[in-house]
Amino acid sequence: MSMTQNWSQTPMKICEFHIPIKNKYYLHMNNFFNSSVTRKVLLLFTLLTLLSCNNKKEEAPKKIAIVISTLNNPWFVVLGESAAKRAKELGYETTIFDSQNNTSKEAEHFENLIAAGYSAILFNPTDSEGSISNVKRAKEAGIPTFSMDREINSLDGPVSQVLSDNFSGCVELGEYFVKKLNKKGKYVELLGIVGDNNTWVRSKGFHSVVDHFPDLKMVSQQSADFDRSKAMEVLESIIQSNPDIDAVFCGNDAMAMGAYQALVSARKEKQVMVFGFDGSDDVMNAIADKKILATVRQSPVQIAITAADLADQYLKGKKDLNKKTPLSVSLVTQENIGEFGTYGSRK
Amino acid sequence: MENLVHTVQENKIDMTKIIKYILLAVIICFSIYNSVYIESLTERKKEQKSTAFNAKDFAENFMISEVKKSPAIQASNFFTGIFSKDLKKYCVLRGKSLGISDDYNFVIQGNATVIAVEDENVLVTLDANKNQTIRIATDFIFGNTIRDATGIANIGDFQNTMDFNNISIELNNIVRERVVPPFKEKVKEGDHLYFKGAIKINIKHPDFESLKVTPLIINFK
Repeated sequence: MSMTQNWSQTPMKICEFHIPIKNKYYLHMNNFFNSSVTRKVLLLFTLLTLLSCNNKKEEAPKKIAIVISTLNNPWFVVLGESAAKRAKELGYETTIFDSQNNTSKEAEHFENLIAAGYSAILFNPTDSEGSISNVKRAKEAGIPTFSMDREINSLDGPVSQVLSDNFSGCVELGEYFVKKLNKKGKYVELLGIVGDNNTWVRSKGFHSVVDHFPDLKMVSQQSADFDRSKAMEVLESIIQSNPDIDAVFCGNDAMAMGAYQALVSARKEKQVMVFGFDGSDDVMNAIADKKILATVRQSPVQIAITAADLADQYLKGKKDLNKKTPLSVSLVTQENIGEFGTYGSRK
Repeated sequence: MENLVHTVQENKIDMTKIIKYILLAVIICFSIYNSVYIESLTERKKEQKSTAFNAKDFAENFMISEVKKSPAIQASNFFTGIFSKDLKKYCVLRGKSLGISDDYNFVIQGNATVIAVEDENVLVTLDANKNQTIRIATDFIFGNTIRDATGIANIGDFQNTMDFNNISIELNNIVRERVVPPFKEKVKEGDHLYFKGAIKINIKHPDFESLKVTPLIINFK
């Protein structure tokens, strides 16, 4: 027995089945679909089914993924946890993913969270170029991404990027550095991760000031990957060949702590000034204890809250968000340390 | 006879194999030829350079063509505003800030008289109100005050924020190299001058004593 199916030309008919019986007779089913009562019942059934599906969707809380470059640094732990806390306050389920500063690990997380059907991603990238493809893949899957702290070089990938104004912070730090060194001396610069835009924005902000003072000589510039232990090793090696340095500028606070440890080991902590960036607990305490000269405080809490709020606004229909939202930072010195709390806002 | 047939058949198989290999080689060569393009590195770099944002040209264009007509607040009105009851309200209304910040930037102008030439600044008193004094910076010309006060660029238009920051570096270079030297060379106490410049104030921790103008235009009278 075969079955043929013809779509009716008449608008009133939904469809018409002709079931041949022994190749001779056809069972006409069009009356069944044409009956107005049947049509109404079917329509009602369809509507109820659709409504029940929608209700189920609304009942389940939406999920936000928080992908962090590394949870090996307390600053990023605060960033991730603050983002999760704010997203929960806004009614979302959250999961934190640790990329371990590894772009392929980050790509795996994106694969998983796309498959898991997250509504949005609060994203702290590992690499300004390498992370673009992950963000674009999420975008193609209809998942909006909101970058936090670290920038990616794409205007059409993330919906919005919330960034600290690293450049202004390092200009201010650079001016303080110049004044503290009386415009002359030898110094070392410890850079962060080479593939991260923040590394270069901070370095360029600092050099936009310091390079205008010819008696300030940079004797070495090396990357320590924003890592405390690596910074200690790198500086230990540098001071063997340059024992007469006056200052160390570090691209983050973890490296500043590592540099300070290296100076303590070499018994040079009293003659070499250390400058950091972030405003982390240990460096704020070290500034208060007059061990480290200064840092630039950026607030991971404020960055996380702003990004989560933007994601919430976007998911609720506000589509005209700024592509980039810079947050101002503050110079923290031994003179003004009393005005600050750690990670939070200025008192 | 059988051997001959075998040889002919083997030759046929060999020929078919050769034809197959030749065809395969042609297909591979064709695919590679169409997948790989070789172009001169110099031309490629030239092309990249021409499409890359040029902060120097951008800053140059502003300082040559735009700075004179850039809107500015009278310096005396600026002082009245910042010393008013509600500093924040005044700054939000009349100033410009970048993103989420307590720093507000303004372009101000006025006629003034030099009362002291200091190491890093020139102290002037405003002609419109002799009680109001302000410093015009002649050293430490750094930061984003000019860019943010004039509002000549929007951060959201820049793929890499460093391009946006490079505008400030270039604007400061122009001021440091062309605006400040002739001013510093001639200035002395009692000089009358017109100035136009950028100034920044923090609304949470305003430091009225340290306010200084980064000069854009200075004309002696």
